Amino acid sequence: MAAILSVTNISKSFGEFVALDNVSLAIESGSILGLLGPNGAGKTTLIRILTGITGPDSGSVNLFEHNHKVTRISYLPEERGLYKSMKVWEQALYLTQLKGLSRIEATTNLKLWFDKFQMSEWLNKPVDSLSKGMQQRLQFVITVASKPDLLILDEPFSGFDPVNADIIKNEILALSECGVTIVLSTHNMSSVEQLCTHICLVNRGKIMINNHLSEVRSQYGKNQFELTFQGSTVAFANALGHRFELVSLATKNEIHSAQIKTHGPHSANELLRALLPYVELKSLKEHSPSMNDIFLEVVNEVQLESTPHE
Amino acid sequence: MNKTLLIIKREYLSRVRKRSFILMSILGPLIMATVGITAIYLSLDEPENQHILVIDENYPLFENLDGGDLVKFDVQDISVDDAFAALKSGEYTGLLHINKKYYTNHSGSFYFKKQPSFRVQRKIEQIVQQRGEILKLGEFNISESDYKRIKTPFEMATFKFDSISNDAQETDITPGLVGFGFSILIYMFIFMYSVQVMRGVIEEKSNRVIEVIISSVKPFQLMTGKIIGIAAVGLTQFLLWTILTFTLVGGAQYALLSSKYSGNDVSRQMNMTTELKQSMAAETPEALTSMSDQNNLFTQLKRVNFPLMLGMFLFYFVGGYLLYSAMMAAVGSAVDNDTDTQQFILPITFPLLLSYVASFVIFSNPNSPIAVWMSIIPFTSPVTMMVRIAFGIESGDMWQVWLSMFLLVATFITMIWIASKVYRTGILMYGKKASFKEMIKWLKY
Repeated sequence: MAAILSVTNISKSFGEFVALDNVSLAIESGSILGLLGPNGAGKTTLIRILTGITGPDSGSVNLFEHNHKVTRISYLPEERGLYKSMKVWEQALYLTQLKGLSRIEATTNLKLWFDKFQMSEWLNKPVDSLSKGMQQRLQFVITVASKPDLLILDEPFSGFDPVNADIIKNEILALSECGVTIVLSTHNMSSVEQLCTHICLVNRGKIMINNHLSEVRSQYGKNQFELTFQGSTVAFANALGHRFELVSLATKNEIHSAQIKTHGPHSANELLRALLPYVELKSLKEHSPSMNDIFLEVVNEVQLESTPHE
Repeated sequence: MNKTLLIIKREYLSRVRKRSFILMSILGPLIMATVGITAIYLSLDEPENQHILVIDENYPLFENLDGGDLVKFDVQDISVDDAFAALKSGEYTGLLHINKKYYTNHSGSFYFKKQPSFRVQRKIEQIVQQRGEILKLGEFNISESDYKRIKTPFEMATFKFDSISNDAQETDITPGLVGFGFSILIYMFIFMYSVQVMRGVIEEKSNRVIEVIISSVKPFQLMTGKIIGIAAVGLTQFLLWTILTFTLVGGAQYALLSSKYSGNDVSRQMNMTTELKQSMAAETPEALTSMSDQNNLFTQLKRVNFPLMLGMFLFYFVGGYLLYSAMMAAVGSAVDNDTDTQQFILPITFPLLLSYVASFVIFSNPNSPIAVWMSIIPFTSPVTMMVRIAFGIESGDMWQVWLSMFLLVATFITMIWIASKVYRTGILMYGKKASFKEMIKWLKY
């Protein structure tokens, strides 16, 4: 698929601190890209470069045409606010018009979204009379009402209760079905699993993973097994030998459940062969890692690697 | 619609609709008009006839003292207590007490129930003085006609000589006062509205609305939009003040004049200055010079070139405002909240403060080196040049005005450029202790 926005070899530093180090990324048109990474990894800087808020020190940013029109980007920042004393409707109209929509266009789009989110009674209220959740909803509406081709959302679910977070999730999926490309930056791994088609994991100014979610999963899911058994745990540990590593072990009602990692390409059959003589196996399955696991693994690996140098 | 225009519109409307703006627009002219109306009222309040009881302890030294139309004297040789009793009874408006020592100290005391105007007081003094002089003529054996011939009044009118056009114009302090007024106005407006720019920037930053906006517009557009929008607010306020003040003063003047005096009185009142001048000229020359100062105010005001002053006011207000508000925008972007701004505001507004103080000095000597320099340096020129222009600038010195205007424009353009660089980095920085050093670093980002 064609890219809608790409950055090539971009770097950005603030004084001594290197926020992005030679990063390249192409956002596929129509995808939902999960932008992950620990705090201070360079996500916000990357997003600011994608949105054109700041420019990179070096490297290039390419925004491609979408349906032969200039691609419209809309961005919902993590640190988001509104003019407190402005009225809801005036504010929504102002911010939508600032994105380049005509007054009429902005009015039509906003009306639609205000109805959808049942916000029509608020029109003449000043923003600071709204609750935090209401303000978050208003901000989401303002972000999407400009009919963007590329929607960049930074922690869109923060401040929402589970019910409203679900509503937002569904709207994101609906927008994606309409062909909107979405970049979703969040620490909420379960929502990444629910929504994203692609993953981009940033750590210490570098991109660690950049792939389809399914690919990432199978890549990191390989060589890990979960099993339950009865019998001696000592015998079990001995049986593993040097080919398999015990990641975790828990016992409940005399049933032990263990997580096993293989060193090298060893199959489930090999594991079975090694264990069958010593313990009574109850279940065995290939472990499918959660995004959370992958995240922790990648980030911790980097930390371990770099610790001796520091 | 153009995005910068949208920003200007929002900045303008959100401020003009504020209750504080509307209140200021009404209160400002009300205060100014009250001052103006009071002045008019006081000047009209004079012609109440004065009936003054004179206790002459050297009676009949001052017998038959003639006070003309306005003042009627009643000279008596009674005790002070009796005189006060008479004053109390209401027959008299004032009591003049000339005691025995008149021959040596030439002074007396005047008691009043309602303070007579300065002019009436002077007139009383002059009448008594004149009588004293005539009395002394006898002592020195001088005839009254000789005395009138001896008295040689000398009046000096001051003219500003223009070496280029060989033209001379009478100088006066009034235009300088008007210029001084304008320079204070410029000082006030630059201060008030550039601080509003800073507050606006801080508001956007602390509200965190900034990132939403600069993802759709360039920081430069937002900054200039804000600066222009607030400038428009300032000009609106100025326009409202001017119109409302003149309407109020004009209306009150008309109402006061027509209710209190018949048409004849009004014209008489208007002409009184010249009448008085003429009548006094014959009598005492000192009176003439002192009178001309205060009473020619209206004629002097007419000599001020108001269109030029207003044009210059607009130029120097806008120029100075752009210069200072650009700096204030940079400061606003660098800090997280209002309390952090103190350390920046003082050094930045110091030249403005200095020029305000200096304008007092410039007022007394508009062509001194300090006046010339301060009116050329862009950071001080908006306030100080107004005073100089009001006094009138010799055509040989016109280059100073052109240079000053050119430098102001060049400086505010440079300053906006620098400020926009600090601004675009500053607005995205949180939790960093801002300093001038830090801001210079941001120029390179």
